[in-house]
Amino acid sequence: MLEGVKAIAKGMGTTFKALTEPRDTIAYPEKRREYAPRFRGKHMLARDEDGHELCVGCGLCEAVCPAQAIRVVAAEAPTDKPVSWTNRYSVDYEVDLIRCIFCGMCEEACPTNAVRLTPFNELAAFNRLDMIADKEELLSPPVRR
Amino acid sequence: MIRLTIDDREITVPEGTMVVDAAQELGIDVPIYCYHQALGPLGACRICLVQVEKMPKLVTACTTAVQEGMVVHTRGAAVDKGRQGVLEFLLINHPLDCPVCDKGGECFLQDYTFQYGSAAGRYDEPKIHKLKDAAINEFIIIDQERCVLCQRCVRFMGEYVGEEQLLLEGRGVETVVSTVGHQAMDSQFSGNVIDLCPVGALLSIPYRYKARPWNLEREESVCPHCPVGCTTSVTSREGHVIRVEGRPIPGHNWGWLCDRGRFGYDFGYVEDRLLNAWIDGEMTSAAESTRTIGSWLNDTLEQHGRDSVAFLVGGQQTMEEAYQIRRFADEVVGTSKVAVSRSVKGYLPTGLNGTFEDLDRADTIVYLGQDPYDAVPVVHLKVRDRHLDNPGLKVIGVGAYDLTRSTVPGDAFVIEPGEEAAFLAYALAKVAASDPIIARLGAELGDFSPTFKGSTSEQDVERLGHQLLESEHLVLLWDGKDPHVESVLLALRGLREDVTAVLPTFGPSNWRGFERAGIAVDYDRLEAIVEEAIQGKIHLLFSIGADLLRDYPDRERAKAALAAIDRVVSVGLFFPEQRELYHAVVPGAGWSEVDGTYTNMEGRMQVAKATVQPPGQSRPVRTYLGSWAHALKKSFVLEPEWDPFDNNAGDLIASVVLPEVRSVPRPARPAMKDGALRLVGTALVMENGMPSEILQPRMPRYPGRISLADARRLGIGEPGGELGLRGQQGVISVMVAVDERIPQGVLVLPYGVVGSPLNQLGDGAVVEAVSLEEVSLR
Repeated sequence: MLEGVKAIAKGMGTTFKALTEPRDTIAYPEKRREYAPRFRGKHMLARDEDGHELCVGCGLCEAVCPAQAIRVVAAEAPTDKPVSWTNRYSVDYEVDLIRCIFCGMCEEACPTNAVRLTPFNELAAFNRLDMIADKEELLSPPVRR
Repeated sequence: MIRLTIDDREITVPEGTMVVDAAQELGIDVPIYCYHQALGPLGACRICLVQVEKMPKLVTACTTAVQEGMVVHTRGAAVDKGRQGVLEFLLINHPLDCPVCDKGGECFLQDYTFQYGSAAGRYDEPKIHKLKDAAINEFIIIDQERCVLCQRCVRFMGEYVGEEQLLLEGRGVETVVSTVGHQAMDSQFSGNVIDLCPVGALLSIPYRYKARPWNLEREESVCPHCPVGCTTSVTSREGHVIRVEGRPIPGHNWGWLCDRGRFGYDFGYVEDRLLNAWIDGEMTSAAESTRTIGSWLNDTLEQHGRDSVAFLVGGQQTMEEAYQIRRFADEVVGTSKVAVSRSVKGYLPTGLNGTFEDLDRADTIVYLGQDPYDAVPVVHLKVRDRHLDNPGLKVIGVGAYDLTRSTVPGDAFVIEPGEEAAFLAYALAKVAASDPIIARLGAELGDFSPTFKGSTSEQDVERLGHQLLESEHLVLLWDGKDPHVESVLLALRGLREDVTAVLPTFGPSNWRGFERAGIAVDYDRLEAIVEEAIQGKIHLLFSIGADLLRDYPDRERAKAALAAIDRVVSVGLFFPEQRELYHAVVPGAGWSEVDGTYTNMEGRMQVAKATVQPPGQSRPVRTYLGSWAHALKKSFVLEPEWDPFDNNAGDLIASVVLPEVRSVPRPARPAMKDGALRLVGTALVMENGMPSEILQPRMPRYPGRISLADARRLGIGEPGGELGLRGQQGVISVMVAVDERIPQGVLVLPYGVVGSPLNQLGDGAVVEAVSLEEVSLR
């Protein structure tokens, strides 16, 4: 019996010792990690100071994408309401976030600095279609809490 | 022959060859902007600099003719530095538009800058700004900032086509390409400047911002719109055809297209495109329709026998489809009643058929009945090409109106409509009446003598007879309307020792291929089916890609025939005219949606690849044939695929033995009342029945054409007006304008104009001008 008490005391000793030690995990989602400033997460499409879309729909991101995750459809920009800073803009811009490997080559290829990878990385959905980010979604980038 | 060395490799080329072409023959790529073999040397862009030993400076390869013993270096430090310098100048005022420019990715300025240019410019001054995105017509925009002033477009329109519609305006750095008089370009060859432009200055409006080169699929194809069968490459993105370009074949064609072929590709996507099956006016599924039609076929065969089923085919499908239809008719149905829907009665024996190479060698070209510019535009360009090569080329137009035009001047014989054969026999008899062949030709003509409108004298006719018999290389372009011309052509072949080549300008575009696939194309077949239908002997008609009301020369008769048939089934891309006459309409697949072979007016077979999937429920013909055969519980195996190519004739249709020369009947001239007009039909490729939203602004607003005198008499002013016409079979209204080439008393109207059906009154009919109220009353 004494043997048993000893063993429990030893075990509890280890437990109580560990309670005071620093933790390896964090309490997600209440607490989040600090990422490197160049962390590459979900894409966004940027606007200029006047609120015009920077993307001209040139498709270079589409061409450079090694995972073929991007689809761009360009069109002539509507003249009645200024959307774009040139007369060409992307009418459709889709990123398949399941395919994307977050290499950041789209960002690098973009001649107008419109495509940027934000630090946002909380990508989860209940079906695959929701993982395709359309233009509306990319124009209003989510903020990491 | 001259021997020279290019990059340490020896080559022997004919005298007068430019260094750039000699290099190309060796497979050495010399950069080019302004030079084009069809347009000749200019030396405007300077990018083709090469080093020639013993010459003090770099020379342009496109303006330097080869010389014996010349030693040329196309690469090397000096050459690359020269090209770098040229590019720096070209780029001084070039905007940094590449991301938004449609040419980006297939642009020679980009490519050569990448290859030879410097990484950064040294020019800090502001760039000169010019006109951007200005439309020069309905299809083309110009961006003057991007232009490198190679003048290909200007030279193509002015020198090659002969329609001066583009020019260089301004001086020095302010020079821009502009349209003459700042008017919209209206040439039907305007689209070629898009292909010619080496940079992004001239761009297609329908293709604008549609895609970038890396998300395109390109397939080799053949233009389906007219019998020329120009080679094209079709570009598609995400299952939609978005562009058609010319596909040059070295040594055979330059890849020119007319605007109909270049921009008329959207007929598959227009609103009228048939996407569902219709049975008795009700929309239904494709599966349901094949069951119903299969049971109709079964019932008809049981009740009325095999000969009560007939097939009418349109002549625009591929040869393979024609073959499948023929085999279905033969093996499954067992009927021989298969005819091609046609609008002209003529037939050209295969043995008389010439090729485009004949046009390149011709010394005399005769247009019979039709101006090739309207019906087969690219043939006009080939004739013009020959005219530029050989200014002594004799061009003769024989028809109901003046068929020649200023770009290829010639002699015009304006005769009564429908008398081409009699007139030619008359002209031949004037020269060699004693010849037995000519005597046989003119046996029935008696004292026929043609009447001329214009200043034609009997000496001119005699000269024509001599030209027909004695020219060294005679090419005739025949519109197929007067069927007796066939005898004249056979007689010419029999009489002449030199080459006599005939090119049929009449459609449907693949009729020669249908003939090869085993479907007889002669008009009598069609006439027999129509006649039997009216007599009630036909109980089920399959109209596959055909539109009898539109094509058949007599609309009322066609209506009567269709109305008399128990069941009419149409397979096509669109609803046929007067769809209430059809009991089933099922959606077919067409050009760019099926692989296949097309035969052009030369009798040359050319393969066109499918580029996209058929939209909606539309299916290729073979799918329907297979399911109908299934309904009859008969096997219909199409494997292995038929190979239309002949081992001996290559890509040309093998010729057969020529028929005998028959005599030309004496033409009957209808009595003309005072003020009456003679209606003359022409084929117009713009109005060929394929709808196109892109081409809509270019569709002729005034398709009918009359003489100035008639216009004054009938009160038609500028730019044109509407005219009511009454013939024996009804009234129609026609939009007409003045054309000085039309003689008095003639109204020229293209076939198949929507709203003005020529076949309502009949080709060659005598018509009276009536008030428009009378037209609306009917």
